[in-house]
Amino acid sequence: MKHILVVDDSSTLRRMVIASLRSVGNIQCHEAGNGLEAIERLSLGPIHLMIVDLNMPDMHGLEVVQFVRGHAAFKGISLIVLTTRGDDESRAAALGAGASAYMTKPFEPKELATAVRKLLVLE
Amino acid sequence: MPGNEPPSDPFAEFIDDYFVECDEHLAIARRSLLALEPSLANSRLDSEVVDELFRSCHSIKGLSAMVGVRQAELLAHEMESYLSAMRKGTVRLTAQGLDILMVAVNALEQIIAARRQHTAPPEIADLLARFRGLGAGAATQQAARPSEPAPPEGHLTPEKRHLLEAAAAQGHLPLLFKFVPSPALAERGVNVNSVRQRLEGVGRLIDAVPVLADEGQVAFLFLLICESVDPAFESWAADGLTFHAYQPEKPAVPAESNAPVDGDTGNVDSGNGDTGNDHSGGPVVGNSSTSAITNVVRVELSRLDALMRMVGELVISRARLNASLERTESLLPPAEWRALQETNQALERQLRDLREGIMHVRMVPIRDVFARMQFVVRDLTREYGRKVVLTLHGEETEIDKFIVERIMDPLLHLVRNAVSHGLEPANERLAAGKPPEGHLELRAWATGETIRIEVADDGRGIDARQVLARANAAGIPVPESLAEDVLLDVLCTPGFSTRDAADLASGRGMGMNVVREVVEELGGQLAVETRVGHGTRFMIHLPLTLSIADALIVTAGGQTFAVPQASVREVLDVAPGAIRPLENNELFLYRESAIPFVRLPVFFGLPEEKGPLSMLVVGDGRNAVGIGVERVLGLREVVVRPLIDPLVRVPGVGGATELGDGRVVLILDTLAFTRGAAKSLRNKGIAGTSFTSNPTAVAGA
Repeated sequence: MKHILVVDDSSTLRRMVIASLRSVGNIQCHEAGNGLEAIERLSLGPIHLMIVDLNMPDMHGLEVVQFVRGHAAFKGISLIVLTTRGDDESRAAALGAGASAYMTKPFEPKELATAVRKLLVLE
Repeated sequence: MPGNEPPSDPFAEFIDDYFVECDEHLAIARRSLLALEPSLANSRLDSEVVDELFRSCHSIKGLSAMVGVRQAELLAHEMESYLSAMRKGTVRLTAQGLDILMVAVNALEQIIAARRQHTAPPEIADLLARFRGLGAGAATQQAARPSEPAPPEGHLTPEKRHLLEAAAAQGHLPLLFKFVPSPALAERGVNVNSVRQRLEGVGRLIDAVPVLADEGQVAFLFLLICESVDPAFESWAADGLTFHAYQPEKPAVPAESNAPVDGDTGNVDSGNGDTGNDHSGGPVVGNSSTSAITNVVRVELSRLDALMRMVGELVISRARLNASLERTESLLPPAEWRALQETNQALERQLRDLREGIMHVRMVPIRDVFARMQFVVRDLTREYGRKVVLTLHGEETEIDKFIVERIMDPLLHLVRNAVSHGLEPANERLAAGKPPEGHLELRAWATGETIRIEVADDGRGIDARQVLARANAAGIPVPESLAEDVLLDVLCTPGFSTRDAADLASGRGMGMNVVREVVEELGGQLAVETRVGHGTRFMIHLPLTLSIADALIVTAGGQTFAVPQASVREVLDVAPGAIRPLENNELFLYRESAIPFVRLPVFFGLPEEKGPLSMLVVGDGRNAVGIGVERVLGLREVVVRPLIDPLVRVPGVGGATELGDGRVVLILDTLAFTRGAAKSLRNKGIAGTSFTSNPTAVAGA
């Protein structure tokens, strides 16, 4: 069983992401509505993959990526940055900060599911 | 039609969530825009408000993209780009820019509404072009990150530093709280969100950052400004939450030593809410909506309705229990009976608490409705070329969600009327010795079981003679009296309009008749006070909740009736000599004036019993009416069942309820009495003439 943490301040979007991953077998999805909550969740149980929105209040998604990548304890976690389209700067920033993949909203459920499968297997 | 394409299939199931979330973001956007307006004058941009507005646009954009509402996505994107440039400082907020943002929020609302109703969305090409004219630069310049993101270790921004210094100057204490989460704590509901909320309750949160302790343990540091150290803080250690005084030198949350303090941030909201548009008084820097989002449960109103119905049934069952207890008092040993009775009374209290709890869940502040009005007033003032100062009072007043939704249109109508008809053009005002800008006041407050909302202007007032002349011309029967409630009756007659041509603003939507209809359907009352040359005040009186009310149980003509307690001002014993006949009516001498007296049995054509009478005084001041009943049995909580079937609707009856013994009794609609009786007397020239010479001060002037 792989654990996926979906981080987005929009509950609708979190649920859309989770719905898109229905076809991915043997996973369990968890949700966090902000960056602090996401980081807390990392300390409470195993997380194998995070899907992180960028524009969130308080703690920007990039800061979440930087925090996760900055600490050896979280080394094994795959990170998909999933942000709203039209933002070319942040692709470089996200990948530079150590994101495993960068995808934009609106996303195709299949593509997201494929990316998740790929990252979980590669791990 | 590009913006109206069907949703991309995979997310069709989320369309309702989309509407709900967009509604929330639109409400935030409206609030933020209004909060930004003052910054035009003093060129001090509240970056928190801009950030919040930016995020709302961003969320709408992202969500719209997901469900394929392309036009909303495009428009939100333009808004976001403009705001992003503002955050970077490459453009300044201008009056024109603010206007376009406001138009855009309205357009977003229309686009989303069109999607909901499957109609064609409005054309937005012009609006998009106007945004590009604002010089925010290429649309690709979307902010990759917040303007001043704190690095993970938590360097303080100059703004936050300044807050700290200001707090120190006021003798407040900066405290550094450390929270170490654990599965055990999380199980008890103690987590970073709840801790954050707890801290926001005791001080002003300046910063929150995650840190990693030596053993790889995640912890969170919260920098908080408190007035004093509460003894309770010590006990929070059991929740993994410890604290010590914050020293700027401490490396944990280091402050930048060379950051210049911007003079402009000199009076970052000191928390006294002077403009009335701070974020509901929340002394929070980091936008409390973060934690709110994850701790808020959205519930469909229908589910709460169902809960309320269940409570209603419980109330009836308890009333039955009560009735059985009364019957068995003589049959049971006193001690046994008393124990039962005590439990029964405890149950009553608990039921009342439960009912209030559910009512409370249904309550929302009227703030969003008022913010809407600000938007409308802005639009109207432009349309009519008038200057209007709008003052809001009681935005925090909470009203049942159901009522809030239905009161919006009547209020919109009253506000439109006030601006388009009530307030005069500046030159007319100056000639009348008034300030050139009109004043409009919206006020809401709670009084006991009712809510009051007022819309007052200091305009020309309603000239009763003109109204009556017009009514005459329109073939509406005209009473002789010029009393205000008569005036209101005329204004609220279908087909009556005080303007010859239905103008742009007031002509659309509902008429005054619909305003009154809606208010009365909600169990409320509408009243007006006006004084020619000085202004008009519309007053709406609404029940706090619709389904359960405290009622006086009375008997009259051998029947039992329930009278909503909120509408009863006083209960009196009637001395035989206090009633004076007058033609076919009767008057009661009440507080040095005469009020109409209506015998309830006579009203309903029931046989009248001989004997002493009690009187319920209902209605306000000049609308007061005494209702004569035989006995007042007591006060009960009753479940109001509206009588909707037109065949059983009778004037004077507002609904029915079931008493504990299974009897169904009628609930009086006291409004019918105040109106009916007052009118019949006034037509004889008796009541209601005094107040025209006693005008009430019109606020806002």
